[in-house]
Amino acid sequence: MAETLGQSMAHGAAEASRRDFLKILNVAAGAVAVGAIAWPFIDALSPSRQAMSVVRPIVDVSGIAANTALRFVWLGTPIYIRKLTDKQIADNQFVVPDSLPDPASYTDRVKPGYETFVVVIGLNTGTPCELVGNDPADPRGPFDGWSCPCDGSVYDPLGRVRGGPAPKNLAIPRFTFLNDAQIQFG
Amino acid sequence: MSGTKPWLDTRLPALESFRAFFAAPVLPRERPYLATLPVLITGALIFQVLSGLVLSLFYNPADAYNSIQFIDRNINYGWLIHAFHETGTTMIFGAVFFSLFRALWLRSYKTPGEVLWFFSVAQFGLLLLVGYLGYVLADGTVSYWSLASTVSGAFGLSGFPGAIGVWFFGGADGAGTLARLVVFHAVLALAVFGILFLEYLARRGAEPKVTHGVGLHPYYTSQYFAAFVVFALIFAVLVFFAPHLGENPLNRGPADPLVLPVAVAPPWFLLPVGNVGHVFPGVWGTIFAVLARLAVLVALPWLDRSAPGKPAGFLHKLLLLVLALDVILLTVWAMQPPSLIGEVVAVLLTAYFFFHFLVLLPFFSALEAR
Repeated sequence: MAETLGQSMAHGAAEASRRDFLKILNVAAGAVAVGAIAWPFIDALSPSRQAMSVVRPIVDVSGIAANTALRFVWLGTPIYIRKLTDKQIADNQFVVPDSLPDPASYTDRVKPGYETFVVVIGLNTGTPCELVGNDPADPRGPFDGWSCPCDGSVYDPLGRVRGGPAPKNLAIPRFTFLNDAQIQFG
Repeated sequence: MSGTKPWLDTRLPALESFRAFFAAPVLPRERPYLATLPVLITGALIFQVLSGLVLSLFYNPADAYNSIQFIDRNINYGWLIHAFHETGTTMIFGAVFFSLFRALWLRSYKTPGEVLWFFSVAQFGLLLLVGYLGYVLADGTVSYWSLASTVSGAFGLSGFPGAIGVWFFGGADGAGTLARLVVFHAVLALAVFGILFLEYLARRGAEPKVTHGVGLHPYYTSQYFAAFVVFALIFAVLVFFAPHLGENPLNRGPADPLVLPVAVAPPWFLLPVGNVGHVFPGVWGTIFAVLARLAVLVALPWLDRSAPGKPAGFLHKLLLLVLALDVILLTVWAMQPPSLIGEVVAVLLTAYFFFHFLVLLPFFSALEAR
């Protein structure tokens, strides 16, 4: 009698653990299935590549000659990508930041590894006005950077304000270097 | 747990009644698998709303055809969502046609199931309208012409029906019309849920009272689950191997206002009802044909002279099979290119449909009831 009871209890325990296992298996498989069905729906809500290329454009910077800047409009904002000359780097590398209206060092203004490129938003921080100085023939001001045709503010090639009513340095947009030739914004 | 309620139940009392609803022993001990069809239709409609929601984000009535191409080609999994939406329509109409046939077979439209039957027919009619609107939203070669002739027909009507046509379509067939039809398509599809709920309430009245029944969970949830798995399997096979089942392939081309397509058949689910349209001449003929088909269905509880609760006899079942064959033939016929013989056969098949409901059914059901 005791044996039978023990056997049936052992049997019951085996049954229970088998049932638990099946339960876990089913719930896990169900969760995978629901996830697999939900995934295309959620992924389809994300914008198309075409739309993303407008939001996060990739710009080729390999063609920019030293001492010139590429003007590129990103979501309505003019972006200047400037390739520095050795002389411009030497002139600005060791300027003491505290002597400037808006202190910023050379390394603050460029990305490590790509120190010859300066990427800024080309709008004056004083009177909102697009800057000139992308082409070497443009009026660039005494620091060989950019100048504002509206209020006369001048910037150095790193985009730091050096004179005029503008209070701040040029804003740096969100971007990353994908490689030596490509910048991705956003 | 004796004496104390679960933590959430005391804070959300609705949970307790929800659980009681699942466990209430009010359901019969045995219910056929086919009785799960309304739940499957509801589930397929929910899935349809989800895929339609995604499609509506990218659908552009002003450039409808190209926006659908954009969904298919440029949106992540857009092709899959589109196929879900198309196949979901096929599955819903398949289930609806089947459950209508099942109601005819079981005579569940007889007392006390009349109201349930009216809601079923109303649901069918509303789904046909939603399906038609979805079809014209594709703005393909064929559906463009279908909408164009429908709108010009509606504008040609006078008086109150004409006013309704003008109000519904809101102008010539174009971007403006598609812009409002996409809203009607979505809103009327959501209205189907209301009818499904009314059907559910009416089913409670149509079913006999159960004294020693079983609860919904786990007896019927497991049945629903098994039925759902079969339904989902068929759905998956259709999505991945026949996503354009029963569609006119010509409708995959862009609309051209100057070229009438050679074959103007709508998708399969509109054919059993829509194809009788050109049997009757003129705009009124088309409207009459569709309404008459629904009207004989509504009148069915009185056309069938048999006593309520009596199981269907052999003759009744035989006639129903012939009727099903008639509807299937009419559907298949409509997919063929137009011909003189085709016209004659369509007239004969349509005539038989009405002959069945208006003559054969009252006569033989009275005969069997004696």
